[in-house]
Amino acid sequence: MKADQDKCIACKRCFPYCPMGRIQIFKKHENIPGRVYIEIDQERCTDCGVCLRANICPVKALFQPEMIWPREVRGILSNPLIEFKGSQVPGRGTEEMKTNDVSGRFGTGEVGVGIELGRPGIGAYFKDVEKVAMALMGGDIGYELAAENPVTHFMSDKTTGKLRDDVLNEKATSAIIEGKCKIEKLPEALKILEKVAKAVDTVFTVEVITKVPPEGEIPVKPILEKLGVWYSINTKNNMGLGEPAFKFYEDK
Amino acid sequence: MTHSLHRRGNFEELKDDFVVLGCPATGINKAGSSPKTQKFLSICYKNGPINLGDMKTGNIYNTTMDVILGNMTDSTIVQCTFDNREKIVQLLKDLKEDKPGISVIISGVSDVVQQCMEEAGLGRIHTIEYSLGTWGQTERLPHFEILKTTTMCGHAMISSDLVYKMVRDVKRGRRTIEDACLELSKCCTCGNYNITRGIKLFKELIPLYMVHSLY
Repeated sequence: MKADQDKCIACKRCFPYCPMGRIQIFKKHENIPGRVYIEIDQERCTDCGVCLRANICPVKALFQPEMIWPREVRGILSNPLIEFKGSQVPGRGTEEMKTNDVSGRFGTGEVGVGIELGRPGIGAYFKDVEKVAMALMGGDIGYELAAENPVTHFMSDKTTGKLRDDVLNEKATSAIIEGKCKIEKLPEALKILEKVAKAVDTVFTVEVITKVPPEGEIPVKPILEKLGVWYSINTKNNMGLGEPAFKFYEDK
Repeated sequence: MTHSLHRRGNFEELKDDFVVLGCPATGINKAGSSPKTQKFLSICYKNGPINLGDMKTGNIYNTTMDVILGNMTDSTIVQCTFDNREKIVQLLKDLKEDKPGISVIISGVSDVVQQCMEEAGLGRIHTIEYSLGTWGQTERLPHFEILKTTTMCGHAMISSDLVYKMVRDVKRGRRTIEDACLELSKCCTCGNYNITRGIKLFKELIPLYMVHSLY
């Protein structure tokens, strides 16, 4: 995002709307004596577009310049209005568990593990995303990346989790690594994440997905409780109403 | 995509906070799904959501229902936010009776969602996603009381600075609490911001900050 120096009156109304914090500085106009405008720090801006959509600028000085590679990854990951063509889903991730009732993406004995870096409200550079992806892929836990996820698309080596060098210094409001592994590997996956959490210069949220069996305990709960890992009372729940229903179990 | 998952708060604060999504599946039932998504949205609308939206178009506080319906395509994911458990039970009964055919997902306190499903005759949750919280440099996060508001937008489009500014505006008499929460809701394009809960949280925020300490 940029502010047109010929229009901006430095009123600061856009400042508080920025999820990345105070990333604007005042500049003196080169050609108009006494005129001050604001300049948005392009290094810290993630092109999420919230300031523009808020329609708060009284002189319509804010504008989104055309984004070219690799900067365009900022908008793809940060602006929820942009649909990543690889996933065909607006937003930062994939359909993941949302359509599991018809896709069978997460089968019995499997657990989905997602890691969203930069969330909430800190932002993340792709060099940190790479650290987490490489830690998971190098952990010998059989972590299988979601092929349609945008971060997976930005990898130069999908077997190691290595990202393309040209995106490493780009920043997103958040970027999510999505994949799955066998449920017995979940403790090792969480141990890897615990270790890499100390090495990244941001925050990340962790989420796990599991198919709920028709009866009996939800498989990941005893694992999390044994490990002493906190989990929220608030969950995302697929109702199983999609059609045609995926058959997880053999018909009796 | 986990943007309705990581809402912060305790049981009392979250028990009446539900985000309902309708999502077609790529390669399975997405082709020609637009009428199904419209039907899902109509059933939700009939049950009185406090907010709703489509992330590519906007929510009902920054656009209109007609625009949301008009912009609907096969890849649209609609989201409706409810502030009342009874409405969820009735919604599930309606969806069971007249299945739209796309996947339906509800974010909320899992025990409460499970109870609602049982009351609606739907049995068990099909697939569940747990939040294991925030890891890493958590000292960089804003105060927990602020996070309760900002995490209602999972895409992090509600900035903590804007919450501070709204608190300051309310304290200075420039806005009412309702106006402030409407302004916050406009930033959350998908319509996940629960205004009823937002107003409650905002009332709790007011005494925590002094005007000169705010944005």
